[in-house]
Amino acid sequence: MNIQVSSHESVAYEIRDLGHLRPADKIAAAAETAMRRIPPVWPLKDFVAVNPFLGLADENFADAAARLNAIAGARTLMPRAFYADALKNGRMTDDDLAAALALHRTQHKHEISLAEIKTQLQSPGPDGTRQARLVMDVAGEATGTDWTSIWRERISHWAASRFDEGQSLWASRKENDSDYSSWRAYAAADQTTRLLGAPGFASAAAALPSNPRDVLELCAARLNLRGRALVDHFHALLMGCGGWAGLARYRLWRAELKGATDTTLLEFLAALAGWELSMLEGLDEKFGLADAWRRDREAAAFKPSQDFVIDAIFQSAYEIAWQRSCIAQIERALPTEECDAKPLQAAFCIDVRSEVFRRALEQASPEVETIGFAGFFGVPVAYIPAGEESSADQCPVLLSPSHTICETASNGKVRDRHFLRAAAQTWKSFKISAVSSFSFVETYGWSYAAKLVTDSLGLTRPVSNGPREAGPPDLSETMNGHGIPAADQIAIAENILRGMSLTRRLGRLILLAGHGASVVNNPHAAGLDCGACGGHSGEVNARVAAAILNDASVRVGLAERGIIVSEQTHFIAGLHDTTTDTFRLFDEDRVPPSHADNLARLRDLLARAGETARAERAGGLRLIPGARLKSQIARRSRDWSQVRPEWGLAGCAAFIAAPRNKTADIDLGGRAFLHSYDWRTDKNFAVLELIMTAPMVVASWISLQYYGSTVDNRAFGAGNKVLHNVVSAFGVLEGAGGDLRTGLPMQSVHDGERFVHEPMRLSVFIAAPTHAIDRVLSNHPDVKDLVANGWLHLFALGENGEPTRRWVGDGAWSTNSPGKGGREIAQEVQL
Amino acid sequence: MNFIYTFGVATTVALDAQPAWGRTVTTFSLIAFAAPLGLFAAAILAFRGPGMRPAGTLRVARLASGTAFAIALACLAAVIVGQTVTTPLIGWGGLGLAMRLDPLSVTMFTLVSFIGVIVLEFSRNYMDGDARQGQFIGWLAATLASVILVVTAGNLVQLLLAWIATSLFLHRLIAFYSDRPIARIAARKKFIVARIGDICLASAAAILFIRFGTGDIGAISSSLKAIAAADAASGLGLPALLIVLAALLKSAQFPAHGWLTEVIETPTPVSALLHAGIINAGGFLVIRFSDLMVLSASSLHLLAIVGGFTALFGGLVMLTQPSVKVSLAWSTISQMGFMMMQCGFGAFALATAHIVAHSLYKAHAFLASGSAIEWARLTQTKNRKPLMPVHFGGALALALAVYAAFALGLNEWAEKPAATIALGAILTMGLSLYVMRGIQARSSRRLIVKVVGTTVLGTAIYFAVNAISAAWLGGVVAPVPSPDWVSLTLMCLAVLSLLAIIAIQMADTEKVLPARWRTHIANGLYVNALFNRFVSAHRLAAARNRS
Repeated sequence: MNIQVSSHESVAYEIRDLGHLRPADKIAAAAETAMRRIPPVWPLKDFVAVNPFLGLADENFADAAARLNAIAGARTLMPRAFYADALKNGRMTDDDLAAALALHRTQHKHEISLAEIKTQLQSPGPDGTRQARLVMDVAGEATGTDWTSIWRERISHWAASRFDEGQSLWASRKENDSDYSSWRAYAAADQTTRLLGAPGFASAAAALPSNPRDVLELCAARLNLRGRALVDHFHALLMGCGGWAGLARYRLWRAELKGATDTTLLEFLAALAGWELSMLEGLDEKFGLADAWRRDREAAAFKPSQDFVIDAIFQSAYEIAWQRSCIAQIERALPTEECDAKPLQAAFCIDVRSEVFRRALEQASPEVETIGFAGFFGVPVAYIPAGEESSADQCPVLLSPSHTICETASNGKVRDRHFLRAAAQTWKSFKISAVSSFSFVETYGWSYAAKLVTDSLGLTRPVSNGPREAGPPDLSETMNGHGIPAADQIAIAENILRGMSLTRRLGRLILLAGHGASVVNNPHAAGLDCGACGGHSGEVNARVAAAILNDASVRVGLAERGIIVSEQTHFIAGLHDTTTDTFRLFDEDRVPPSHADNLARLRDLLARAGETARAERAGGLRLIPGARLKSQIARRSRDWSQVRPEWGLAGCAAFIAAPRNKTADIDLGGRAFLHSYDWRTDKNFAVLELIMTAPMVVASWISLQYYGSTVDNRAFGAGNKVLHNVVSAFGVLEGAGGDLRTGLPMQSVHDGERFVHEPMRLSVFIAAPTHAIDRVLSNHPDVKDLVANGWLHLFALGENGEPTRRWVGDGAWSTNSPGKGGREIAQEVQL
Repeated sequence: MNFIYTFGVATTVALDAQPAWGRTVTTFSLIAFAAPLGLFAAAILAFRGPGMRPAGTLRVARLASGTAFAIALACLAAVIVGQTVTTPLIGWGGLGLAMRLDPLSVTMFTLVSFIGVIVLEFSRNYMDGDARQGQFIGWLAATLASVILVVTAGNLVQLLLAWIATSLFLHRLIAFYSDRPIARIAARKKFIVARIGDICLASAAAILFIRFGTGDIGAISSSLKAIAAADAASGLGLPALLIVLAALLKSAQFPAHGWLTEVIETPTPVSALLHAGIINAGGFLVIRFSDLMVLSASSLHLLAIVGGFTALFGGLVMLTQPSVKVSLAWSTISQMGFMMMQCGFGAFALATAHIVAHSLYKAHAFLASGSAIEWARLTQTKNRKPLMPVHFGGALALALAVYAAFALGLNEWAEKPAATIALGAILTMGLSLYVMRGIQARSSRRLIVKVVGTTVLGTAIYFAVNAISAAWLGGVVAPVPSPDWVSLTLMCLAVLSLLAIIAIQMADTEKVLPARWRTHIANGLYVNALFNRFVSAHRLAAARNRS
């Protein structure tokens, strides 16, 4: 077997153009490079999917796998046995393997034969141990004490308090000191290290430089690291506490979105390096740690491995097998003829859960058609509910909200909300303050006998969600800059309709359906809400969009821009509850009497579609369809002990941007993001560009989050839900301590017996001319990285019986019809 | 309030006077054993199908825990109408298994079986899909059965065996995910602490048996009641001290608290059961032997000192914890300390009430800990009014006034011992903190009305609980002894130091105490780090193999 492994270079990669920099700047650049490799982590209150490989997308998939394995001991692919099983049970075939081999020949100049690679299925594959070495590892070997775990635990102990957003009543001081100096003071005072066998640690920490950049320079000098070894070292430090590093990276992300910057991550890195240096100083005398480190450095060399390329080929084969059947399904389906506008139209979020409901709704009646669009409906707003102090961003995390909207509410209602919040705050401090907690138990502790019963029965929630009935969003402009100016409203309206390819053939009643989940006592609840709305329920955006589109003056403005929305059309906002597949409609009182019949019909159809959708999802929830199903599912959504209230986006595999009539008759099994798109109405392919740079990227984030949490839940997932311990009012720990956990809980991808999510990178299908797709890629290097480096698969759907083509390189597309075997594909690829 | 006292006296009388048909009742009372036996049977069934989604086990466990709760309620009803019984001894020579059903034990029995129903019910869906759910349910049921046998023990042998069994079954639950290093360390530490506790209890039981010639707890209590304090020198100081030690170790009191905060390495329902059902066993033991306690002043002082310090220490550490479950664990440590201190002051009935109320609260707090983000969202605030001395004074004055009004209105102080007054003062201080937060919040008149109303109602509840528990348990726990000067000093110390903590919190802890202190306190004064070192918690596997 002869493989030219590109991962050789990848483990030891280049820092570009650093020759001219001063040493201090080189170190800063190394830190910067390492920091950019850490994916941000969003707080649980607006938990959204994040691509755990963000920051590595400029590398080939297999190379990144090798890197993550070396730096963090993380697995990026399934164990070999998984692929062997798939081959044995027919999930994939030899043809798929051959096709995958051919595909990879274009990327990694390998000469592996089918027979050779099949023998590899029997070998264990990469062993998933970290190769990068930290001073703590060397110290551990020198002393027999697990300093690496102690390091992580100590950093976590400090970070949890430092980054606490409201859990503890005795907060660590935040004013007047930086994160790094807060750590240094902590490390200098903390006696734990002394007690565990590093007596000099605290004084060494106290003597560290006060500037974080100086610490990083000292680290490079003392550890004798430079260039890419230094980047790898910083990267390994950050990955060692990847959760907290992700929190710091999140702050940087948020700041940069607003055009500012943030030093939390740099200071955090300095704290990690400072720990190492203090360890080195603190243990040197007794154990000669500096010498041990020097010897270790000399011995250490990354062992590049071919295994990751082979694994990547297996993974591709696993995906090609699925693509084969998916493409066959799409190509077999006859596109329905475009007909006159149907009276009822319903726009849903592209979320894969919508697919099931949309199919059910269309089956319920031929008079309704559905549309797929990002669930924030092109309205990136910050929303302030009545009586609250702060706003939540109701838009994808790639965007910054353009406007701030408040809830319309009477003064009385605002006062009520103020009262409820103040009462809750006061009650909380009564309950958990020192001494007053004794009084609390002796007086009101008794009331929990009743609360235990009612919460167990699902009659109450542990935290009541208060007056849920929200007033309509207030669009009018106010003194403090809230609201949406009229001109902006017209621009937003135009973007919505063009984005949905809904500039003609408008029906009478058009539903804009946001979505949200209803679950109880679940720290990851926001992860089940709408990701396009920043991890929140989407009714606000739908209501704002409907209000704008119904506005008479907006419609005049639209007409000037060439989009006619007649008086026959009314938009109505709704909310799809993805847990129970029930529906709520908003602002029904604004529906004109002329549309009353349509409204009644819509309500009826939504109810029927709900039945169908619930029946379809019942199997996954281990429920039996029948008369009791609705109440069983409703019970589940109120169950405080339920760890799998719904399956979220598990199973997501494809992203399809095409007119709905191309997919209308296909059962995609709730696995596809469906974005409505008609390239014929897309001037200059501006909408295509938008789709490929926003919804497609977000979908790939989601798919890679599920992928990461499935292939290595320890590294990229949140672990076991029954151990979750909410920390810093921000995230979860698994158990008593350790690093902040990111990604999805095991329970969200696994039902105990098997993975419910099949680990696959996203397959993107776009119904558009290939040259247009190529142009978007060449204009957006970040997006092209995703495609070219194998973070997603890109296909162009053909017109009029043309076969589906796969993107295989700059401007190169290969057909990949289901009838073809690997050999033919291989030939084509080489052509 | 009179009717409650009459009721209490009636219970006491029933305890001593066996009615003519008493023998029938005594035999019939054996049915109470069905509660633990049913749970043990469920456990055995569970171990036969230890795996995933054990539908049959779940049904049987539900049935067994429901039955146990029903039996507990029946026993409670029987005791309320005046039947205090000890079941016939299953054993020999005054040693063996017997249940004593009196106001104290049926209270605990009802509490524990109620928590059991809730926790087992919660574990159905919560643990769904776990590869060893059957085993989990099995250990849960077995632990529950053992705790029921502890709290209903009428004989020293049953008490000791059930005491040890509880800890061994719990051990399996703590180490349920034995691949988790911290879970293993916690189990190891708990194991060491528990075995020392077992030795203490076994020695105490042996001494008591030798001294009184019977293992019957009721009989021992009656004999103890007959001993005047003056005769106390007669060798009862040692068993009392041993029981106190066993209790302090069981209830995670300083410095043996380290394992409790790490039990979070096991599924949430275990924490709920542990913090609401098992950790109480220490307090229960002291209360069960309160007649012995009051004969040993030094034991009471030890309880007051260790309990008081743990209450203070645990409360402060709790304030610093940024994670919800660890913070709850410290809260339990602190609450158990407070309860032990109540015992040390001789307020055994009040301590029992504290156990029950705390269990209900803490079981809920753990099971609902997944709602922490929702809580944070609801309670986060940026604008809190700055503190003014008038707030502090006003709040304290208001709470004090409410308390005084009740106390005077009910003519409480006239006859009550110092302990009750001291504990009442602590309650008042706690309430005053609440009142002050109410004033401090950006408040409306409505909030003030609510806070004042809550304070008045809370004080009323406190007095009612005080009276009811005194009446209900009057016949089974020792009355509050009149304090000696050491106790009086300790009471003053407790009130003053807790007042200091209230004041610090009112002024915002982070502004008053130096950051360095926070580091030390957040680390629990490093006691756990020392313990970890002692059990070689951080040895690398490779290094361990070598040595």
